[in-house]
Amino acid sequence: MNENLFASFAAPSMMGLPIVVLIVMFPSILFPTPSRLINNRLISIQQWLIQLTSKQMLAIHNQKGRTWALMLMSLILFIGSTNLLGLLPHSFTPTTQLSMNLGMAIPLWAGTVITGFRYKTKASLAHFLPQGTPLPLIPMLVIIETISLFIQPMALAVRLTANITAGHLLIHLIGGATLALINISATTAFITFIILILLTILEFAVALIQAYVFTLLVSLYLHDNT
Amino acid sequence: MLQNLVKSVWVPMKPYYTQAYQEIWLGMGLMSLIVYKIRSADKRSKALKGKIFASSKGGGQKTPSYFLRTRCPMA
Repeated sequence: MNENLFASFAAPSMMGLPIVVLIVMFPSILFPTPSRLINNRLISIQQWLIQLTSKQMLAIHNQKGRTWALMLMSLILFIGSTNLLGLLPHSFTPTTQLSMNLGMAIPLWAGTVITGFRYKTKASLAHFLPQGTPLPLIPMLVIIETISLFIQPMALAVRLTANITAGHLLIHLIGGATLALINISATTAFITFIILILLTILEFAVALIQAYVFTLLVSLYLHDNT
Repeated sequence: MLQNLVKSVWVPMKPYYTQAYQEIWLGMGLMSLIVYKIRSADKRSKALKGKIFASSKGGGQKTPSYFLRTRCPMA
């Protein structure tokens, strides 16, 4: 039971060859490149969604911040589509791997911090000390602010990993419980099945929300540094 | 194929890769440094554990039964 519970999070391989790269690249074929002025329904809906998201997300940014528009939109599309595809039965979700999420969080966070130090050095250094701090508290607060800065990429990665992994585990457990209860008590199995349906709906929402939260936080870090 | 790749990927993305994402390339360098440090530390600790395990198995030390067999012809 224990081994089966975490087996779906192991890196998949086919005939001894790792196929993680193929799985990571798979969502990109669900977003065809628009080639005409007026495209088909799928591309038109995708373009409308991207326009809606980018308008809302980039409204707070100045000209420098808006050069990250492509990166932020690609990020939310990738994480959202990967999370949603992971809800298919027996599929592998790359965003359950901490290595993958750290691989996304660290370069983006470091990019925002380096942008801040490069273009607004004084303002970036000033972030280490909140305004109006009493004099005796300054050394401690600088240490606390430094720690909170370096925690940011870890929090980004662990938040996404934990949310998606926990959701998948819960679905696995409640699905297993439903199956086990069918022979014992049909009523209890039915109630557990209803809970499973509600949980699956919740996981759909969590998949999209986590993609939005990850991208929004990167966007906020960028806004602080531009 | 390379020409098609350059035309379809590099030409439209060149301003992003060369100007907009300079800091992100630095961030990727930092991440690869962290990955390298973690991997080398893991290798070192595994090699050390293997060494300790091999030495605790008594590599080269003779057991008491060896002396009994070689010194006492009746055994």
